[in-house]
Amino acid sequence: MIKLRFLAAGGAALLALVFGSQTADAQALDRIIKDKKIRITAELTSPPFGILDKDNKPTGSEVETARQLAKDLGVELELVNVTGPQRIPALLSDRADLAISSLSITTDRAKSVWFSSPHGALSIVIGAGKNVNIKSAADLAGKKIGMTRATLEEQVVPKVAPPGTNIVFFDEHSATQQALLSGQVDAIGGAAFLINALAQRNPDKGIESKFTVTTAYYGIAVKPGNYDLLQWVNTWVFVNKQNGVLAKIYKEHTGVDLIELPPL
Amino acid sequence: MTYVFQFGIVFDKFPLLLEGALLTIRLAAMAMVLGLIVAVSCAYLRTSGPKPVRALIAAYVEGIRNTPFLVQLYIIYFSLPALGIRFEANEAALVAMVISLGAYATEIVRAGVQSVPKGQIEVGLALGLKRLQIYRFIVLFPAIKAVFPALASQFILLLLGSSVVSAISANELTAIANTLQSTTFRAFEVYIVATLMYFAIAVAFRGFFAAVYWFMFVRGRER
Repeated sequence: MIKLRFLAAGGAALLALVFGSQTADAQALDRIIKDKKIRITAELTSPPFGILDKDNKPTGSEVETARQLAKDLGVELELVNVTGPQRIPALLSDRADLAISSLSITTDRAKSVWFSSPHGALSIVIGAGKNVNIKSAADLAGKKIGMTRATLEEQVVPKVAPPGTNIVFFDEHSATQQALLSGQVDAIGGAAFLINALAQRNPDKGIESKFTVTTAYYGIAVKPGNYDLLQWVNTWVFVNKQNGVLAKIYKEHTGVDLIELPPL
Repeated sequence: MTYVFQFGIVFDKFPLLLEGALLTIRLAAMAMVLGLIVAVSCAYLRTSGPKPVRALIAAYVEGIRNTPFLVQLYIIYFSLPALGIRFEANEAALVAMVISLGAYATEIVRAGVQSVPKGQIEVGLALGLKRLQIYRFIVLFPAIKAVFPALASQFILLLLGSSVVSAISANELTAIANTLQSTTFRAFEVYIVATLMYFAIAVAFRGFFAAVYWFMFVRGRER
């Protein structure tokens, strides 16, 4: 009987050990520093934020931001590859400590994750070939518009689109862009940089930005409950906004100047 | 874990999921019928057709069975428009599924055809039946009976594999689940419900196949 009780206690301790490490810990920052490793999401099909360079190495403004953050924290960086729709689930399922993947700050998303102050901004535009007649949201009626799931455009474009707009969704930016290039859709919604980069890589298609739907700020996200980590990240964003590091990374990869970023 | 499950959001959008499930069922059922027709024709040509046709069928079967379904799907949806052949997303999905299933099922039906004893075919020849008549009246029935379980498994695989076609914006069950997940961020809840729906559909199809088998091969043949 004593033996049995001893076993039960041991089992309970083991369970606590296994599951204890899974909870949203208030000491996330301590753990990261102790492990000397931080896990950050990398969405690598979303230029200029995340992309593979000529040597197949991850780069882009968000990846470089992650590198800088890990360096400043003094820990090793582990990039966790995600697709757009996996950015938030990766945090919630504890596969990543931070999401730095151009995650726009919205009230909807804030129900699931906690955002830092914004460290970047982007405009959502409608892009299409020159011969497609779109000047404003009203012209979207009767057209087939492609966009990527789990993006800001998925949230804002349907709100401005008039009835009769046929919106179709893809899982990857690359698929959405391919749909425009192969003529499967009339236009696509996306970040201004994405449309610009697409137009530059395919000059024969005459792709241009038709109109701006909205401008949004994106921040770094943590799993709800990780106060200490969020506090450190906010401090990091503040410091690197002041010293110009964020603006430098942004300009290097997007080719445009970073606009004034308000605090959250 | 401190995760709090919220199934309410998913059930609010349940009609959408149901719509996606119906499209999944429609796509799978159509692909099964058309794929079986492709398979039965190709299996005949592969075993009794002229040499060049046999080689052509072999190339089709091996080409499809040794390349990823997703890539075939991308080629049909994204690449064919460059040649002037344009499919809507759902059509492209169906075409890809029929082509893929056709290749796998051809091999299965062929195995069945080759399992039919030579003597039976010789009886047909002795009776003066033509090749196609022998295939139709003597070979096909026992061939399908012999490989029916394998065919049914392949059909179920096709049904589950159809989840991939969300990649080209076909709006079947997985696509709806992905969209719900990305707008509600309740990944666990959405995918748990979608998984249960797939399971129910697969079980229903299995029951249907069992019934077909019974009606075609068991009932009235016990004497």
